[in-house]
Amino acid sequence: MNKIYQQKHELWLHILFTSFAINDQTIKSKLYDFSQIAFRHMKWLGTDILENGDDYNYDRNMDLEKHSNVFESLNTLKSKIEDMQNLYPDTTFGERAKTDDSYILEYISQVLEDESNNKEITAFNMKREWPEAELDSTQTDALTLFLFEETYKEYELILVYAYMQARTKNHLHFNVFQDLIDESHFHLKSFGEMLAKLGILALPRELHEMTYVVKDLEKFVKDGIAEEEAAKEMCKQLSQDINEPKLSSFFDFINYQESYHIELMKKLL
Amino acid sequence: MLENVKMPEGINKDVMEHLMYPKNYGKLDNPSCIGIATDDKTGEYVIFYTLLEDNMVKDIKFATNGCQDTVVVGSMYTDMIKGESTEFASKAIGLIAKKLGSNMSKKQEICAEMVLNGFVASMMNYENLQNGKEEEAHILKMQESCLVEEDNE
Repeated sequence: MNKIYQQKHELWLHILFTSFAINDQTIKSKLYDFSQIAFRHMKWLGTDILENGDDYNYDRNMDLEKHSNVFESLNTLKSKIEDMQNLYPDTTFGERAKTDDSYILEYISQVLEDESNNKEITAFNMKREWPEAELDSTQTDALTLFLFEETYKEYELILVYAYMQARTKNHLHFNVFQDLIDESHFHLKSFGEMLAKLGILALPRELHEMTYVVKDLEKFVKDGIAEEEAAKEMCKQLSQDINEPKLSSFFDFINYQESYHIELMKKLL
Repeated sequence: MLENVKMPEGINKDVMEHLMYPKNYGKLDNPSCIGIATDDKTGEYVIFYTLLEDNMVKDIKFATNGCQDTVVVGSMYTDMIKGESTEFASKAIGLIAKKLGSNMSKKQEICAEMVLNGFVASMMNYENLQNGKEEEAHILKMQESCLVEEDNE
């Protein structure tokens, strides 16, 4: 079952990062919604695996293919979704997942029928130019490092919280984990799209089990609060370093969100 | 390769490549030894899986929950020592620490040291296993924490 879980994990990332890569807002938005559905598939599949007395991990074996136009990118995604179809278990979840995937495939086919949708993809052009303002090289470097740091961190947090949520019997903890997962999805989306705008979109690195198999919840939460504090500082520093009104305002907004994450995390203690 | 490394300012193509696609990242199925460096203050770790054959580093992988500096140094370091002798790997530790040390902040030096300690820990694990000791992985705790250094800066 772990193999199916791994494939689903990879498919979630494929849909998500295809959404980040595409500039067309309608296609991007649809794919992002589909990625959220794929993430819920992961969650439900994980629950079924645990209920059957089995286990899963976050190993993965995938590359993000760097396409230069929408059709190439969607055709790759289409084949990844098709590959998954025969792997689903013969369960209620499996039926639901197949139906969802069929609809996504239908949507992709509709997009592929209209040649005007085949726009250029700039997410991998390596230009490192921010389209909404002129940044100098120091500002661009600061933004680049921050985005790589934080896309990994948000991906890590989503998976770690999901892993713990799947195993907790405590309702309060379950709800706190859900809030933190939802918040991290929003941050991952924001930062992933910024990487794409800069032309340097890349997958976050894989999680090692030492990161997500948490043996000491209290220590995990305390380390997590320290990390959130550090992320707040990074946002504040970045906002000052970049000194560009729109970007600074965005990083201040993220900074305040991190403050509330700390309050949420305290509920786990 | 390290001649071109400038961190954190002035990200060059080489550093971008390691940032976007870290080399030798992950796990090995059948390593000769495993080493872990940990920072108890931050909860960060670097784990090394090393496959040795006739005193050569035949294959090597690493993983970390640390910052991007740790990832970039780990990627560069493993790229440098893969396929080389363990003697070279030990010398490279001194070389990389010295070279990166002159360009990096104190915090980044500590990140680099954690990478190097992870590899050293894997060598200690190998030695222990050769001496008949049962040890899943050797763990080295960092003397200095990047968190402490940040506070002091």
